[in-house]
Amino acid sequence: MFRYLPEQASEVAPKVDWLHHWITDLSVFFTVAICGAMLYFAVRYRKRDGVDHETPRIEGNNFLEIVWTVVPTIICVFVAYYGVVIYRDMVEVSEDPDQVVINGRGRQWAWDFQYQNGKVTTNEFVVPVNRPIRVVLTSTDVLHSFFLPAMRVKKDVVPGMYTYVSFTPVKEGEYHTFCTEYCGKDHSYMLASLKVVSQAEYDRWVNDRSAELMKASMSPAKLGAKLYYEKGCNACHSLDGSKVVGPTFLKLFGTERVFSDGSKATADENYIKNSILNPQSQIVEGYDAIPMPSFDGQINDNEITGIIEFLRGLDGSAPAPEQPEADEEKGQGEDLSALSPVERGKWVYENKLCITCHSLDGSKLVGPSFKGLYGREGELNDGSTYVANDEYIQKSIMDPASQIVKGYQPLMPPYAQQLGDEDVQGVIEYLKTLKE
Amino acid sequence: MSAHADGDDKNYLNCETTLWSWISTVDHKRIGLMYLFTITAFFIVGGLAALTFRIELFSSGAQFLTPDQYNVLFTLHGAIMIFLFIVPGIPATMGNFLLPLMIGAKDVAFPRLNLLSYYIYVVGAAMALIAIFNPFDYILSGFSAEQAFNPADTGWTFYAPYSVKSGSAVVWMTGAAFVLGFSSILTGLNFIVTVHKLRCPGMTWNRLPVFVWALYATSVIQTLATPVVGMTLVLLIMERVMGVGIFDPSMGGDPVLYEHFFWFYSHPVVYIMVLPAFGVVGEIIPVFSRKPIFGYKMVVYASVAIAAVGFLVWAHHMFTSGISDWTAIYFSVATFGVAIPTAVKVFNWVSTMYKGSISFETPMLYAMAFIFLFMVAGTTGVYLATLAVDVYYHDTYFVVAHFHYTIQGGAVIGLIAALHFWFPKISGKMYNEPVAKLAWFLVFVGFNLTFLPQFVLGMEGMPRRYFDYLPEFQPMHRLSTIGSFINGFGYTFALLNLLYAAVFGRVKAPRNPYNSLSLEWKTASPPSHHNFDEDPEVDDYPYAYGTPVEGGGHH
Repeated sequence: MFRYLPEQASEVAPKVDWLHHWITDLSVFFTVAICGAMLYFAVRYRKRDGVDHETPRIEGNNFLEIVWTVVPTIICVFVAYYGVVIYRDMVEVSEDPDQVVINGRGRQWAWDFQYQNGKVTTNEFVVPVNRPIRVVLTSTDVLHSFFLPAMRVKKDVVPGMYTYVSFTPVKEGEYHTFCTEYCGKDHSYMLASLKVVSQAEYDRWVNDRSAELMKASMSPAKLGAKLYYEKGCNACHSLDGSKVVGPTFLKLFGTERVFSDGSKATADENYIKNSILNPQSQIVEGYDAIPMPSFDGQINDNEITGIIEFLRGLDGSAPAPEQPEADEEKGQGEDLSALSPVERGKWVYENKLCITCHSLDGSKLVGPSFKGLYGREGELNDGSTYVANDEYIQKSIMDPASQIVKGYQPLMPPYAQQLGDEDVQGVIEYLKTLKE
Repeated sequence: MSAHADGDDKNYLNCETTLWSWISTVDHKRIGLMYLFTITAFFIVGGLAALTFRIELFSSGAQFLTPDQYNVLFTLHGAIMIFLFIVPGIPATMGNFLLPLMIGAKDVAFPRLNLLSYYIYVVGAAMALIAIFNPFDYILSGFSAEQAFNPADTGWTFYAPYSVKSGSAVVWMTGAAFVLGFSSILTGLNFIVTVHKLRCPGMTWNRLPVFVWALYATSVIQTLATPVVGMTLVLLIMERVMGVGIFDPSMGGDPVLYEHFFWFYSHPVVYIMVLPAFGVVGEIIPVFSRKPIFGYKMVVYASVAIAAVGFLVWAHHMFTSGISDWTAIYFSVATFGVAIPTAVKVFNWVSTMYKGSISFETPMLYAMAFIFLFMVAGTTGVYLATLAVDVYYHDTYFVVAHFHYTIQGGAVIGLIAALHFWFPKISGKMYNEPVAKLAWFLVFVGFNLTFLPQFVLGMEGMPRRYFDYLPEFQPMHRLSTIGSFINGFGYTFALLNLLYAAVFGRVKAPRNPYNSLSLEWKTASPPSHHNFDEDPEVDDYPYAYGTPVEGGGHH
């Protein structure tokens, strides 16, 4: 009865549920027994025809009272004991060298995760199945709590100290992560998704840094334009001079601002930073109806610089940037002709998914690492040998299945349709720079 | 009302009728009534707040509230229900009215202090109202629309550092809780001295009604635990106003320390709420079963044991908070120490009915409902005491359902039971029995329909204090919302029925409508200004019902 717990996706989950179900069955038994006795007495000994019948003056019974003190005590000892034993399993610090340690950080109202290779994600994290996982937690603002129902673990996330959850996932799939310590306005939207995947898929995912690298290599103004749409600035601030909820961004930078209290300031770098982090401190005259929320904690210094540069560029001399398409299309509109061949090759590497399977640091992913590849000699899986020269590399890109290096699977798709000659040449030049 | 002239018909209600005679009264019965009306008003406000956010939670997705409004509403619901309604609850209303009557005294030990307690409560309540409407931010901001509705939104627990950073209403709300604490402490002291010093001849400790024992144990907790939360709330205010870093890590403080301080009070306070309800049930069941309370001494010792052990288990609210594993293990094991005396009490109540002559007037129906609801509250408490299982349940709807079974199913049902049971004594009238039973039915069905689905939500992993939720949680939320309205109608009928009987009722209550042996029924209904016409004396405990039998034991 009452088996509503979610699926068991960690090693400790069946143990927790076993104890849980025992408590449930004991609870149901005692509730039914005691309330059943009460109802039985109520019917059996009811007052009939409105006249009291004679009742015995029973004031107690030592034997019974000892029994119903001792029996619950014994049950409690057992339940408490197993509660402690299973809890120790749950919080045990694994000494397994294979364990995956992830740094998790709660903030109002999102979860950030950082992996040991530096990869960072927000509101999603991926772990390999059947390996001990330890998420070390802290908070940048107020209390949060990190709850993984399918793993049966939970820990408060406390500013100023580290806590952790550890679990070993046993089932691939996608699971909920909730914030369970009330943390203000969007507490109920502070969710993250946990993906448990195979070891191979995890390796590919954790080494795929393309999204971050692209962000880091963007020009500040471009980053600012991207954030303008991503963070929703566009909902209130136009780029064409029209007044929406807040002032337009067009030709804002460098002008004099008049505030609702009558004071004035020039819209310089510090003004813009302050307007993002502490918008209530300086509200432009005529715009005090709907207050802007503070972005403190949701935006880093690098991104603020990006927004400043973006605003600096909005002087009316060039058309405003359009909202970029979905992530997959990133970079499509970029002008690549200005890049040197090496830069072009690096761009291809990062944006055409090479990065997903080929590392730069010598580690073996799905495909061979690019580190020291150019000029290498080796054996293919048909027994023949190869030298990684220009011709070999070009053929590997256009028709990869024709020459698979020994020890690898023929998984790479052909790129003949997707890359031009300049792209391929760029990759070759880029690989040359990666020689040992 | 022509009976005024008749000296025999003078009672505490009609001996003086001016408004001044009420607001300056030192009569414990009138003070009890004033508390009753005040806390009932707050019960209605807190209940309406809950019904409002239950409508919001009827469906997944944002409905008609904003997240901020929802957060304010659940904070108001919690803070009002806890600090303004159920902590004063039974002790300040029924306790004030009944304690001197039950021990044969003319009043409490310090009648003026008693009135002061009431007015301190009123000041605290006024401060809470300021926190609710928060007019100062609005005025100081030059009537900025943004500050027009900015009440406390921290939850009733005021956890740091959110409460240090959130809006200024937090200072008013915590200040209110601080002031209300003094009211609680003074009432507790007053009751302790009253029980020690004002028992009538023959009223030995072994003859005290179980309700008096429960009040006594409650008063000890009030006096010892409340100062801690008072200090904690002052520290929180100092941190906000003066920037003293105690709980906020950005100023060198420790938020977990706040949790310890807070629960050191707020766990024992659960027993402040529920022990008096145990006492009420312990009075009602013997009377309607015509049987002595089974194991009087065990029932009394269990109350005292719960009060004592209740001080030693506070960190079971904090198993996931970052306390050390050994601390968690100690608090888990200690918590089971409260489960045992509580279980003993339930066994004793049920055995009292054995071979009784049981009648089912409304107070008895509430007492039986209480036993079922408290079984659910107690057994679900076992899940939460068990370390490995609580990790899963902490801060989910399972906890919400559990403490509503404890506090509403326990303390509120206990208060409503007490109101019906002693209504003839308080008002001198009889209420309409069929309407009272219908209201009981609605309360019982509505309550279970509200909170049983919340256990299921908790099992499914639904966190508490969520403005919005995933679609898979919707069916149980819908049942819960429907139940909450049935529950609300039930309370409305019950209270209106009593109010109608008190004001317009024509059926005069006899001295002792239930043939109870307890002292308060030996005086007139309603009692005279000085309680007893002649000084009472007792020679047995008040549960000597039935015919003495061989092997019946001794109390």
